[in-house]
Amino acid sequence: MHTAYDMLTGPCAWTAFILFFGGCLYRLIKMLWLVWKKERFIFSYMSLRYSLRSLVHWMVPFMAVNWRRQPVLTIATFAFHLCLILTPLFVSAHIILWEEAWQFSWWMLPDGLADAMTMVVIVCAGYFFIRRLVSPEVRYVTGPSDWIILSIVAAPFISGFLAYHQWFAYRFFTMFHIFSGEVMLVAIPFTRLSHMIISPFTRAYMGSEFGKIRHARDW
Amino acid sequence: MKKSIGSILILCTIFLFGWVSVHSQEEMEVVDNSVFDQPRRTSSLFMHDDHNESAGIEECHVCHHVYEDGELLEDESSEDSSCSECHEIDASGDMPGLMMAYHLNCKGCHLKEKKGPVLCGECHHK
Ligand code: HEC
Ligand code: HEC
Ligand code: HEC
Ligand code: HEC
Repeated sequence: MHTAYDMLTGPCAWTAFILFFGGCLYRLIKMLWLVWKKERFIFSYMSLRYSLRSLVHWMVPFMAVNWRRQPVLTIATFAFHLCLILTPLFVSAHIILWEEAWQFSWWMLPDGLADAMTMVVIVCAGYFFIRRLVSPEVRYVTGPSDWIILSIVAAPFISGFLAYHQWFAYRFFTMFHIFSGEVMLVAIPFTRLSHMIISPFTRAYMGSEFGKIRHARDW
Repeated sequence: MKKSIGSILILCTIFLFGWVSVHSQEEMEVVDNSVFDQPRRTSSLFMHDDHNESAGIEECHVCHHVYEDGELLEDESSEDSSCSECHEIDASGDMPGLMMAYHLNCKGCHLKEKKGPVLCGECHHK
């Protein structure tokens, strides 16, 4: 128990954070380098104004036409991503552990709210899961990797939820929670979860090309 | 005669109360968390005397310590004051805040000894 805990919160945690930050940096540099090598002219397209214009339109729910087409999916997508990113950064237990290790802390969510946000992530993940099963057009483009990625993201939230409430095997789910969180961190730069770092750039490029070159909107 | 029996009884009661309040750590099962306003967790399990016996801690000052000018005084202890009398809710300088004082003291030793609870719910049991 103690040996496993020491491993998970020591060497494994270090490896996960290094791979996460290093991997993200690597993906960004690789992206810029590829553009530079293959389609350098893209840099001359880029415009801060049109990039931001497009990003704002896509980051506000229902502001882009696409967001208005499927309202339920849109709400689920926004709620999912918002809670997915904010909960782990501000849940009290993470900040307390951070302070124990680094004598450094920041604002934390009330536990009830963090619990509700975790449920939002789990419910939305369930919705995406069912959507992939029943909606023919989504099912058609679904491969094994989609199921794996969805599980990697859902696992830390489900186990964290069970651990917080101390339901079922408390020790197992707490340890699994730490482990699955580390797996998710490592998966971000090296799977399609990398849309977390890449998509703002794709959006900025689309916005710039449509706005500056084609004088059109991309939302 | 009746009067002296009465005073003996009163003396016994006072003695009993004094004894109970001095030795109340024997009955302690959890660390009182009422100093925290709106505690987030259940109070931590801690059977004071059983714990220290099975963990083999003999010195009181391992937990009930006294510092002078930032130096730990090896042969003095502070079991007559609660942790919260010195440790405020918020940290100040080298002095950890109350929650951190507990976590660093309790969990710190458990991690070092590789014995005793380290996961939140093992201490803050629901
Ligand atoms: C070794 C036992 C131990 C472990 C493990 C532990 N705590 Fe505590 N914690 C305590 C003690 C003792 C206190 C002092 C007050 C009390 O009894 O709750 C405390 C106080 C707190 C407080 C402040 C009082 C309150 O309820 O608001 C919070 C919050 C807290 N702990 C959260 C956590 C979290 C989150 C974890 C896991 C990351 C954790 N603790 C792990 C022993 C522990
Ligand atoms: C593992 C740490 C630890 C050790 C060792 C320890 N104590 Fe304590 N003791 C505590 C904690 C924690 C409290 C609760 C303090 C508080 O509520 O602020 C406490 C409370 C007490 C109290 C007050 C009881 C009450 O109900 O208010 C007394 C008296 C006491 N301890 C005596 C001792 C004596 C005597 C020793 C040495 C034989 C000792 N303690 C060793 C942790 C420890
Ligand atoms: C008489 C005042 C006093 C009492 C009572 C007291 N502390 Fe402290 N404690 C201090 C001071 C002063 C420091 C800061 C030491 C320094 O300057 O590094 C400190 C530091 C600490 C530290 C960090 C350094 C270390 O020794 O590991 C922990 C943890 C801690 N206290 C836990 C506790 C706990 C738990 C209790 C109750 C059982 C308690 N303290 C009771 C005065 C006190
Ligand atoms: C100096 C080391 C040390 C400190 C300080 C310490 N513990 Fe422990 N604790 C142990 C050891 C060793 C065990 C394992 C005992 C065993 O396996 O029998 C243990 C076991 C426990 C257990 C499991 C049940 C039991 O009583 O054996 C709890 C709960 C616990 N500690 C709570 C606390 C809390 C709360 C504090 C802080 C107020 C604390 N401990 C401070 C060494 C320590």
